[in-house]
Amino acid sequence: MRYARQVAMQEIGKDGQEKLAKAQVLVVGAGGLGLPVLTYLACAGVGCLTIVEDDIVEESNLNRQFLYTPADIGKPKGALARERLAALNPAIKVSWIGERLTQANAAPLVSGRDAVVDCVDNIATRLLANDACLRANVPLVEAGIDGFYGYVFPVLRGGACLRCLGYAEIASPKSPGAIGCTAGVIGSLEASVCIRLLLGMPVAPDMLTYDGTRMEFENVRIFRNEGCRHGEG
Amino acid sequence: MVEVRLFATLRDGREKAYSLPREVCGTVGDIIAHLEIPPGDVTIMLVNGRHQKPETAVSDGDLVALFPPVGGG
Ligand SMILES: [Zn+2]
Repeated sequence: MRYARQVAMQEIGKDGQEKLAKAQVLVVGAGGLGLPVLTYLACAGVGCLTIVEDDIVEESNLNRQFLYTPADIGKPKGALARERLAALNPAIKVSWIGERLTQANAAPLVSGRDAVVDCVDNIATRLLANDACLRANVPLVEAGIDGFYGYVFPVLRGGACLRCLGYAEIASPKSPGAIGCTAGVIGSLEASVCIRLLLGMPVAPDMLTYDGTRMEFENVRIFRNEGCRHGEG
Repeated sequence: MVEVRLFATLRDGREKAYSLPREVCGTVGDIIAHLEIPPGDVTIMLVNGRHQKPETAVSDGDLVALFPPVGGG
């Protein structure tokens, strides 16, 4: 039985496994964060994964984007990821949208999902996902990495969102340094938060920060800014 | 004293935490200047968990958390 070891977990069991099988998750980005997220969600039996990704594989992706090989350079990431995830777990449905997230497509793509996982490298797309998820009341898992550092937190109605934290005033950093092991740590944490949300289990509203230079995690309390329109207006 | 925590690359070449006397840091911007952090390097500045501005005043016992843009994916 494929899922025997996780069905044996008190938190999952047969009921939890059925919830995962029925779950629909949108993963925005199939790069450094997106691949560990997609891989663990697929292995865990999350029934329907939709990848939003319009990029092609470049050689400089290969230090961290482990589902792609040198033979894939120049090919669309989303198509490759879909094929490889389907091979990992043929029992799930994986689909691919070969577009960027935009103002026009964000709402329909987010609608009806059980969770959205943000795995992108720029602020503008993060804000689109933030606003669309809050409007649709779909939980969002947000994360970022830079070198040996990273963070992850859930965006839920009533809690802090990216606008509360001032993301609307931030310019995207120019291609920060990136190494696969950090993307793996943070992507795995995103998958963990996502799976707990799908199971209906509590998740801490804190921002979890990771410092690989000191081998430390630290939780930071973050609160909703009362003046934030929260994408709901 | 004001408790200050730095995150991600703001820790490079600095400590991760400082206790600063209120006299040297009346505002969030004063803290950033006192720690010799280039102002543009800080994007999220939380005072007790809420994002504020450089001109926001801080009080004894406040917890200030400063983040650079961490935007990679
Ligand atoms: Zn907000």
